[in-house]
Amino acid sequence: MSKPKKNSVKSQGGDPFTRWLVIGMVTLVVAVGAFFSLTSENKAKNAAFVALDSFQSYGTLPGNVDSTAGDGIVFNAGLATKIDVFEDFQCPICKLFEDPIGGYLTSLITEKKAQVTYHPLSFLGNGTKDDESIAASNAAYCAADENKFLDFHKALYDVQSQVENSGFLNTENLLTIGKKIGITSTTFTDCVTNKSKIVNVVAATESMARYGVKGTPTTLINGKLWERQSPGFDVNEFKAAVEAAAK
Amino acid sequence: MKNFLITKQEWITTIFRVGFGAFLLYAGGIKAFDPAASANATAAYKILPTELAHNAGYILPWLEVALAIFLILGIFIRPAAIASALLMVMFIGAIASVWARGMLIDCGCLGGGGAIDPSKATEARIAYALDIVRDAAFVGMCLYIFKYPYGRFSLEKKPETTTQASEDQQ
Repeated sequence: MSKPKKNSVKSQGGDPFTRWLVIGMVTLVVAVGAFFSLTSENKAKNAAFVALDSFQSYGTLPGNVDSTAGDGIVFNAGLATKIDVFEDFQCPICKLFEDPIGGYLTSLITEKKAQVTYHPLSFLGNGTKDDESIAASNAAYCAADENKFLDFHKALYDVQSQVENSGFLNTENLLTIGKKIGITSTTFTDCVTNKSKIVNVVAATESMARYGVKGTPTTLINGKLWERQSPGFDVNEFKAAVEAAAK
Repeated sequence: MKNFLITKQEWITTIFRVGFGAFLLYAGGIKAFDPAASANATAAYKILPTELAHNAGYILPWLEVALAIFLILGIFIRPAAIASALLMVMFIGAIASVWARGMLIDCGCLGGGGAIDPSKATEARIAYALDIVRDAAFVGMCLYIFKYPYGRFSLEKKPETTTQASEDQQ
């Protein structure tokens, strides 16, 4: 019944047909699972822009690139309470920070309660010519020229890819994000396409050392590192820290 | 000890097979159902080019699941044992490599993964050491299973050497 075996040590389990059937079934099921994992990335990418369909603009808010602050983008320059936020647009924890706290930070800007400086930098990029952290931060600087940094910044987190360096933040998609939230000028298009703001991104990234920032997201309140106590990012905890610093 | 490893071989093989298999099934399972995190975790090692690393992150968990099922059912035991041992050696190499390069990441062995808070540097190094020790123990278990593949509750049974041999020669 079974084909002859040269070596008796060779394993046998039931009849060989059943054995190979089981092996084949397991392999098939697992291969199908692996296939769906492999294709999940593209599906997620295509679905991302839907998040911008009901985008609420903050309106135009001018921020200035300050070369003395490592080319950070400063809002309400000169107010006593100073907040610095260091972020990489690809960083998933930055999204966890921005989702609950970003709105409060923006309200501090619009209500002129604090000076907020955003440092969009490249921390997680893979260093290739298509480095997506650089491309995204570059585009954010381009949006700052249109007084739309805060809108673009929020939009980038709204569509953030779950997988870093997946090729999602390319020129075409960055322009699409701009278009979806109403940044359509040719200066913006040229700026994103030519990566005109790369010097700013480099300056912001290099300033990490000067500020003692080792990762993203990092938030400084009046120059002092904000260390959260709760496991997640809690807007009330952050608010309390800002209000304590404002006194 | 040596004696114990041989006299109780059937049971030791079974415990190693099912124990390691269960761990592998768990480790592979949670990663297989969170493919994005797994892709990020492999990319965080910065060993493979990004795209390859992502694909490895999508496939490796399923490979772990397959090996786990083979080990638990006790089918295809020897190939599964040697493949698992190689996989563990690869993980040890990868963790040692990030450690040596002074990078701070979560190994993503049991889900999660990616860069970690620099203030947790000491914890990260302890975690690297523990992960390497754990994986090395798994390599040992796999090699034992490879040497003695037959135990209890296994679809593959020990061939009866003499009768089998004579039958084969008919």
